[in-house]
Amino acid sequence: MVARIRSAGAIAAFLVMFFPFLTLAEDVNFSVIPAEVHIDNLLPGESAEFELTIHNKDEIAHNFTITTFPPPEEERREGRAQFPSDSWISFSCPRIEIAGTSQANATVTVTIPQEQKWAGRDWEIWLGVTPESTDLLAVKLYVRLLVSTSGTMFNAGLVTGIAVAIVLLGYGSYHYFRRKTKPE
Amino acid sequence: MKIAITSTAIAIILALAGSLPALAQQNSTSSITITMTGLNEISISLDKTQWPLGTVASNTQYETIPQIEWCTLTVQGTCNVNTFIVGDDAKWVSDPGAYKWTLSNDGTNGDHIYGLWFRISGDTTRGYVPITKTQGEFWPYSGGSSLAPGNTKQFGLRLLTPTYFYSGRQMATQITISAVAA
Repeated sequence: MVARIRSAGAIAAFLVMFFPFLTLAEDVNFSVIPAEVHIDNLLPGESAEFELTIHNKDEIAHNFTITTFPPPEEERREGRAQFPSDSWISFSCPRIEIAGTSQANATVTVTIPQEQKWAGRDWEIWLGVTPESTDLLAVKLYVRLLVSTSGTMFNAGLVTGIAVAIVLLGYGSYHYFRRKTKPE
Repeated sequence: MKIAITSTAIAIILALAGSLPALAQQNSTSSITITMTGLNEISISLDKTQWPLGTVASNTQYETIPQIEWCTLTVQGTCNVNTFIVGDDAKWVSDPGAYKWTLSNDGTNGDHIYGLWFRISGDTTRGYVPITKTQGEFWPYSGGSSLAPGNTKQFGLRLLTPTYFYSGRQMATQITISAVAA
């Protein structure tokens, strides 16, 4: 039966918290390279990829997970807006096991949907790398990812329209001047 | 005159014939640039990660010993960092989905609600700061400076247990300290 404990100090609450191990384990020692990535001139409809290197500096193997995190406005670089969707970012391995004193790479792919409204934007999102742990204290390292899309977007319809207009203009001018110069 | 106009039309057509494929090619291989700033390495470490509290009583405050120099955060890597801290609910180890203590958003406690605080040695302006489920500043860089490689910060924790809770259940939680390039 579950006991309900109300008063402080009167009844000892026999609850064990935070894993009462006697050892004070040291946290996983690891690093991530690079700390900041800029992707510029990315056109809507295109993808770009780069590699994150996670270095496990411990003697034993650890599992690391990579996730995205939308930083609040005050933490973002000046002029950067929130990245519209973390579904545009994928990882080759969102969970990766790295042997002791070893490093491994994870490929990050950024894909912008092919919509004109995403052209000419500056965004920021963070990529968080953390070792799996059940300890009370954990460390997470963030990589700043700054993505800028190109302001001009190729528009096949517009280019074709201009080409057709020029040809028709040339053709019309030719006939106009031909008629005009013809003796009546 | 006729020859001039015809020549102009042909010239335009030829120019377009040459430029359109070029435009199309530019679309498929636009000059995306990926810059990894100086290949900076980011890293922080903590010299301990567990707090062996043992049994705790309800509505009671516990502090690490020493109070504010219990754990040392060290900035490693090659870049200056801004640091953050975030907490979580404490869950019953045997069945995390069945019972939990909710982490309060202001450090206070209640029925099945507990409070967590941290205090950094040298942070004289803030004193003990509540740890919540929303990521907040660890070192107050907005009022001071970010931390450089080699810098260390010592800190301690305070736990305020719920006013009442179900006894005999082993609870566990996690506090995440994070860093990003300044």
